[in-house]
Amino acid sequence: MMLHPNILALFFSSLLISLMTLYASGYGILILRRWDISSGSELQLALERRTYLISTIISYFLAFQLVSLFLFIHTADSICHLFVGAMCAVGTLTANDFGYPTLLLKVVTFILAGLWLILNYADNLGYDYPLIRAKYLLLLFTAPFVLAETVLQAIFFLKLTPDIITSCCGALFSQAARGIASEVVSMPGVPMQIAFYGCILATFAAGARFWLRGKGAYLVGILSGISFLVSIAAMVSFISLYIYEMPSHHCPFCVLQKEYGFIGYPLYALLLSGTVSGLGVGLLQRFRSKQSLVLILPSVQRQLVAFSLTSFLFFAVIVTWKVLFTSFTLQGF
Amino acid sequence: MISARNISKVFNAGSPSEFIALRELSLDIQLHQTTVLKGPSGSGKTTLLALLGCMSRPTTGRIFLNDREITSLPERFLTEVRRSTFGFVFQQFNLIKGISALENVMAPAYPTGEKFSLLRSRALATLKMFNLAQRADAKVEWLSGGEAQRVAIARALINNPSVIIADEPTAHLDTKLAREFLGIMADLKARGTTLILSSHDPVIYDSPLADRVVEMRDGQVVGESPRS
Repeated sequence: MMLHPNILALFFSSLLISLMTLYASGYGILILRRWDISSGSELQLALERRTYLISTIISYFLAFQLVSLFLFIHTADSICHLFVGAMCAVGTLTANDFGYPTLLLKVVTFILAGLWLILNYADNLGYDYPLIRAKYLLLLFTAPFVLAETVLQAIFFLKLTPDIITSCCGALFSQAARGIASEVVSMPGVPMQIAFYGCILATFAAGARFWLRGKGAYLVGILSGISFLVSIAAMVSFISLYIYEMPSHHCPFCVLQKEYGFIGYPLYALLLSGTVSGLGVGLLQRFRSKQSLVLILPSVQRQLVAFSLTSFLFFAVIVTWKVLFTSFTLQGF
Repeated sequence: MISARNISKVFNAGSPSEFIALRELSLDIQLHQTTVLKGPSGSGKTTLLALLGCMSRPTTGRIFLNDREITSLPERFLTEVRRSTFGFVFQQFNLIKGISALENVMAPAYPTGEKFSLLRSRALATLKMFNLAQRADAKVEWLSGGEAQRVAIARALINNPSVIIADEPTAHLDTKLAREFLGIMADLKARGTTLILSSHDPVIYDSPLADRVVEMRDGQVVGESPRS
């Protein structure tokens, strides 16, 4: 294992997040089994007191979980020079078999942690813990992913040895390579652009409908999820080409580098925040009938949909700016 | 009505110093009346007042304020109930030293976000009600016992509470000041304020102000005497 400050930060923060999530999950099981707001028993009152503390602590840990995704890709990118053949984070992530699974789990836990934070925020707005069961159920669902991510990340870092020969992104994200990456790379550019802008527009239309009429919350959630997947594919398929202004460079990680103005960070942050808040709109719709939240949840959902649409808008604007105002063109590809 | 249902309060539970302050106590307190909790030291009066006033939570049991259950409320909701419903007068007055009487009176209303000039004029009006307008800028350590007591009452009233809770309010007062206190409380009661007092001072529980005297011992209600 390399004693890089970022690696140590990720290692110990993941360990702490896992321990706290485990503890909170144990407490969550107790809540799911024994919570009874109508009871004045000692256990119930103790649960009420402790859930406030535990929710507050776990929300800070999960907020760091959001940040840790970016720290992870930044770390992978910043240590790539230690591996022979690596040009960006791709080289680091392919230095052993645990890099990509860790990244995938980081993305999954980012989304789950974001949704938990939204649920927790909404729960705190109600006077009678209206979402407490849903909140801890989601935490129980999230916990295995957090634990798996911690384990895989630890193995990934422990197995990292300098000077290992690895692949550069050009080899992995090319049509000649095998796997999902090459299939995405091989997708035709223009249809992919149509799919990307179509998804973004559909999400916008659904979001605007919800904003204006309060209808279609589930649709906003579904379309946000679809937009995320399509946008990631679009990133590899054509957005990256416009950023690099090269017809064969499809890497979704080089955009994080200084040469490209670190444009990948705002792009991914906007995409993820738009996705999570859009999914949150759909998630909260399920709880609209809770008596203590009837008057509160619609405004929370409106805030979320506004945040989601703003994020997607800025994401689309940056992408469109690159598509329209670079000298590179996909005509003929 | 404020209703306590089977409330217990245990301090340091599970440790050798465990102390049971209240045991399965149930009590209904009528609004717009004066209820006096009477009992020796250690009988649980202060603990009960703290629970009724949302300053602490019971170990078991529930408390209802006008049929709304308040013990399960998350802290920020409980704070709002406490701020808008209850005014507290403490045994030692608990005025903040180093600041003026006026600032002490204004302090509980700061979190409401009320415009400062409006709050200041309200606080001055409240002090004037107690003939303390000329002492508004005096630091509280310069006040006499009677003045400090009236500032404490003015502070309790600044958020227009419907219930005043006073814990042993005459413990450190001579008979003249105790009677002055009772006079102020009688005025508040006449305006519809609910009064909940704890005392083992006969000046309080034998006064005509008390509509009901609840006798406590060892964390339980052992008797009560309606006075009117």
